[in-house]
Amino acid sequence: MSSSWLENNTFHFADFADLDRLVSEKERRELTISLCLPTLNEEKTIAKEIIIMKSELMTRYPLLDEIVVIDSGSTDNTMEIAASFGADVYEADQILPSLEKFKGKGENLWKSLFVTKGDIIVYLDADIKNIHHRFAYALVGPLLLHEHLKYAKAFYDRPIAIGKSKVRPTGGGRVTELVIRPMFSLFFPELTQIFQPLSGEYAGYREVFEKVPFPIGYGVETSLILDIHEKWGLDVIAQVDLEKRVHKNQNIKALGKMAFVILDTFLKRIENLGFIDLKKKMYNEMIQYNLVKNEYKADILQIGGIERPPMIEIPEYRHKFSITGKPPGRQKQAMPESSDA
Amino acid sequence: MDAYLDNLPTYVDRIQAIKETILTNIVLIGQIPAPTFKEKNRSVAFLDRLAEFQVDECTTDGYRNPIGVIRGTDDSKPPIFVVAHLDTFFPKDVDHNFKIKKDSITGAGLTDNSIGVGVLVSLPEIFRQLDLRFESDIVLAGVIQSIGKGNLRGVRHLVKTWPTPIRGAVCIEGVELGRLSYYADGMIRCEAQCTIPAASSMEYKFRPNAILVLNEIINQILTLRLPQRPRCRVIIGQISGGIKHGVIPFDASLGLEIQGDSDRMVKAIFNEVKDIVDGIRHEYEVDLDLKTISNLNAARLRYNHPLVKKTFAIMQKLDLRPVSGHSESELSIFLSRKIPAVTLGITRGVNYHLANARLKIHPMFTGIAQIVGVIQAIDSGVCDE
Repeated sequence: MSSSWLENNTFHFADFADLDRLVSEKERRELTISLCLPTLNEEKTIAKEIIIMKSELMTRYPLLDEIVVIDSGSTDNTMEIAASFGADVYEADQILPSLEKFKGKGENLWKSLFVTKGDIIVYLDADIKNIHHRFAYALVGPLLLHEHLKYAKAFYDRPIAIGKSKVRPTGGGRVTELVIRPMFSLFFPELTQIFQPLSGEYAGYREVFEKVPFPIGYGVETSLILDIHEKWGLDVIAQVDLEKRVHKNQNIKALGKMAFVILDTFLKRIENLGFIDLKKKMYNEMIQYNLVKNEYKADILQIGGIERPPMIEIPEYRHKFSITGKPPGRQKQAMPESSDA
Repeated sequence: MDAYLDNLPTYVDRIQAIKETILTNIVLIGQIPAPTFKEKNRSVAFLDRLAEFQVDECTTDGYRNPIGVIRGTDDSKPPIFVVAHLDTFFPKDVDHNFKIKKDSITGAGLTDNSIGVGVLVSLPEIFRQLDLRFESDIVLAGVIQSIGKGNLRGVRHLVKTWPTPIRGAVCIEGVELGRLSYYADGMIRCEAQCTIPAASSMEYKFRPNAILVLNEIINQILTLRLPQRPRCRVIIGQISGGIKHGVIPFDASLGLEIQGDSDRMVKAIFNEVKDIVDGIRHEYEVDLDLKTISNLNAARLRYNHPLVKKTFAIMQKLDLRPVSGHSESELSIFLSRKIPAVTLGITRGVNYHLANARLKIHPMFTGIAQIVGVIQAIDSGVCDE
């Protein structure tokens, strides 16, 4: 495994703090940039994210062209608050209404491709307590200043030593360390260099996002990495140290469900790549147990591994973005474009 | 000369047009914990933001108060100071992340004084938005070590060592919109500390109770006869001590403040409190100290001082009903050095001194407009008598 990727494609947010430079590069290349915030009951944090991004990256530095909120059906005041601070707010169900409706973060991200206008799209989770505009500009920075990069992911402050005197944050939460990292180590060791593959903050070019499928739920981060890696190779991916991120902590049961979805996504992909041969169809139910009045009761949740096809295959999308020619079929085998898969 | 008075109501909407920038400053600076004596990180962020707003000079003084200077158009005019204290009551381990809703912002330290600091940092951008230039230099100072044991050290040093005369000052506090402080009471803030010496073997069961010793001090203070003229009072503000419910406490402290509009009377009452403490120490045979941790001299502007009158007019122009009250903050340092100054509040809210202080966003823009108006008043010469 080459370590050059780690050295060449790992950045710190301070590398992109010259916002004038980012804006002039964006203008020189005639690009537009959209910020998308997927939400579900985020009234405590959504306003702060919009306010800071709007002030710093729209009013003071015209780096972002729009802030779009895609909501999964919040029952609190998330949508009203977001609209009051000037974001373009959409209910996911109202986008492409002729399609079957699903709920989930991946669904929101996929549908955002239809309503946003940007050549580059930045996705940020909406529950970041210590939000700062670096979360957006530092993810856009590598894409603007290094033309070969197409996708940038965030990582945060979990230190590990690299070399003699270099200390870098690495590692993720429990699901990353107990599920994703072991799986990457087994099948894609080069991807272990991505410190926090499940981080919810990333940016990429529309031309990339529109060509890959999106699982509707938590599997979306895993699938994006695997599919981009498979299709374009590791060299188009960057990671950026954003230092500290404060967000809601999830309980172990919620993490269990997340791990289930991620494993489902992962196993299906490695089967498609021919790495494994599943002799039997996998089940789609996550089974956990609760002790209720001295009795163990199964808590069964159906989590179907539903995926949206690449957006470029959707006729409404092709029409809206004036894409001509025959829609590409879904690729199930490794792409010949890949340079290092 | 007073044309700005007529323009004031229009300022409110124009300031509101950059509400995201003002709120961003409040969040980015206010979310950095800054308990007294540990303001360094907030101080750095304060200067960074001023530098980003292209303030002419961004620096720290000899006491490490962060300062930004917006150069005026007339070298001969002394500077106008706008100050807000950087430190807050909340320790670092308290969650400082704010929540913003449609018309409110909630979080620890907002009231005292993160919202004030955020507004202070926003002033360069607000002046730009309102297209304002001033004859005087405008000195924007986030003073450190202000509250509690800080004893206003930052602002004391800043004013004492400033090399030129100062034309006037505006002190910004988070709450309450409508306050107009132009006088400061004399004040002695002190702490009584009671410690019961460690005992051997089973004696600990029969030791004096440190909290009850302090209780006796409180009882005796309550018997003091305080004059109505000069006005003065003793505030028992803090008490702490003990280990757990069933153990006699061997350590306890009592925080109190003597306030009044006569320094002589404040000192006299302090001496009486000291006598009480000395007497109890002798009678109970415990370690009992009364330490002065902060003090201020009484100082005031007259009600008919031009700055006070003009500030009233500005507030009324903005449909605010001015409520006069004393202030024990930075104001007293300016006034004691004969520098005309007022303290103004920015907004309204609830839970002022709690970690979940919630302040309204919309009134803030009127609060900022009044601050800009008073700066303009000073710049037009109301303090130059």
